[in-house]
Amino acid sequence: MVRLVVAWCPGLLREGPKGEEPRRFAEVLDAAVDLAPFARPVRLGVLAIPSRGPSRFFGGEQVFAEHLATSVAPLTGGAGPVCVGAAEGLFAAVLAARASVFVPEGATREFLAPWSVATLRDPDLAATCQRLGLRTLGQFARLEEARVLERFGLDAVRRHRVARGIDGELPGLRDHAALRRLDVVRHRDDPREVQRGFFGERGGADLRAAAAARRLERQLGVGAVTVARLGAGRAPDDRALLVPWGSTDAERTARDLAPWPGRLPAPSPASIPSRALAVALLDADGARVTVSAGGLLSARPARLELDAGRPRAVVAHCGPWPMAERWWGVLRRRAHLQVLCEDGLALLLRAERSRWWVTGVYD
Amino acid sequence: MFASSPERTAQAAELATAIRPTAQAAARLVPVAEPLRALLADGALRRGTAVVVAGAAGLGATTLALSLLAEASASGHWCAAVGLDDPGIAAMAELGVDLARCVFVPRPRGAWAAATAELVDGVDVVLVRPPARVAHTAARRLAGRVRDRATVLVVLVEHREDWPVPVALDVEVVASAWHADGRLVARRAEVRATGRGITRPRRVALWLPDAGGAVAEAG
Repeated sequence: MVRLVVAWCPGLLREGPKGEEPRRFAEVLDAAVDLAPFARPVRLGVLAIPSRGPSRFFGGEQVFAEHLATSVAPLTGGAGPVCVGAAEGLFAAVLAARASVFVPEGATREFLAPWSVATLRDPDLAATCQRLGLRTLGQFARLEEARVLERFGLDAVRRHRVARGIDGELPGLRDHAALRRLDVVRHRDDPREVQRGFFGERGGADLRAAAAARRLERQLGVGAVTVARLGAGRAPDDRALLVPWGSTDAERTARDLAPWPGRLPAPSPASIPSRALAVALLDADGARVTVSAGGLLSARPARLELDAGRPRAVVAHCGPWPMAERWWGVLRRRAHLQVLCEDGLALLLRAERSRWWVTGVYD
Repeated sequence: MFASSPERTAQAAELATAIRPTAQAAARLVPVAEPLRALLADGALRRGTAVVVAGAAGLGATTLALSLLAEASASGHWCAAVGLDDPGIAAMAELGVDLARCVFVPRPRGAWAAATAELVDGVDVVLVRPPARVAHTAARRLAGRVRDRATVLVVLVEHREDWPVPVALDVEVVASAWHADGRLVARRAEVRATGRGITRPRRVALWLPDAGGAVAEAG
């Protein structure tokens, strides 16, 4: 489990009648992102940051937490102090933040033990446990997993694992609706009609296009109309960013135009499937083709099964291009391979999590 | 003094007629990249008309359709892509499309015709990939709208029959083959164009794309 620092803003947990809270929390979030780029919202008023990087940078978790609290406190608009805490796993970290506690490593289970069973966000489970005399997470955690599965079912087993400090993600802990709301606030707060340039750069055509896009957005919903930006990265799908119309992200930054060593060579695929599509890549004997740690193919690819029962013969392949990225976080190893099928279809495949995925179609 | 002059309205009308731009032939055209000019009757896309780009999956029809937007967007025209839920942004940039002048409606969710009609009002070139075979009425209505608003409609389909009304220009990718040398280097495609103002079907061999990702003439 990843150790997380969580900031809990008691005054911003619920959206009030004026709708001020999401906007304020967006500011809090932006301030936190300035300190630690991987700060992510959990729900309205709660944000989590992986502890390792910022702790090293600021010279300790508690020092970082103080920095965070002081930089965020003026932004809550007098909605009370910000509570910061840290623990392993999101569930424990959020509770730690509520109590402003830094739970030592490996002590998650002991920390969780005195909390009420009701914190597991399952009223039925809580009621039954209360009747059985299990009032705290510690008592609940002492039950055997097999007994929990028998009595309460699979969902309760997940909560049981959380209570034992093995798992940190609890269903319902992250409020996705609030996060979408927050996205809208963060992207939409700026005025759309930004006057760019000194004189007349935004002509009639620009305004006409903007008006059409806005009408369309009203019909189809927020986020249906997007603009594209070429971002930083090596693979073509990493570089493609589709952001909602009118968001500030649409401005291109100089950093994204910098060269990226190890970028896949041009030409890039003309279609990038929005959902990863798993494929089977087989050699002449029907065995799965894999990429070794050294970046070599286990065998020459001979067949590609795109959807069940329709194998295509592979006539040529180029690559693989191995990539090991994000050594500072969760290390990601990937390899890309171009394959050319017998019927002329050329695909860009990616080996990740020991499977092959279609990441581009050269159409 | 002047503000209350009785001739003021008449002067304003006179001034308006004097400075009203006359529509020139060039203003009715939207430019395309140099290698594609040989395909088009006027050497450019004519406003108020539709172009159908057809080609089986993998032959390069998507690249061809996207490359039709390149010169237009680069010269300051607004473009839109409807129903393209998987645009290759990097490929578009390599083709020379100015992404700052492109609007995407990747998933119009059944309202693709309404979305296209809306964008025909607002931008200069609309690229649309209909989700399935298009109804005759929907296609005819869109064609009418495109004529009214002097926009260019580029329709990307797999088979020509998917767009049931005649258009000013039909472009089809007939055949294509990749050249690979350590990587996929370039694709040579044979493109055929028929339509108004073209007496005999034009056949052009293109690099679609070439080694740099752009479109080029293949000798």
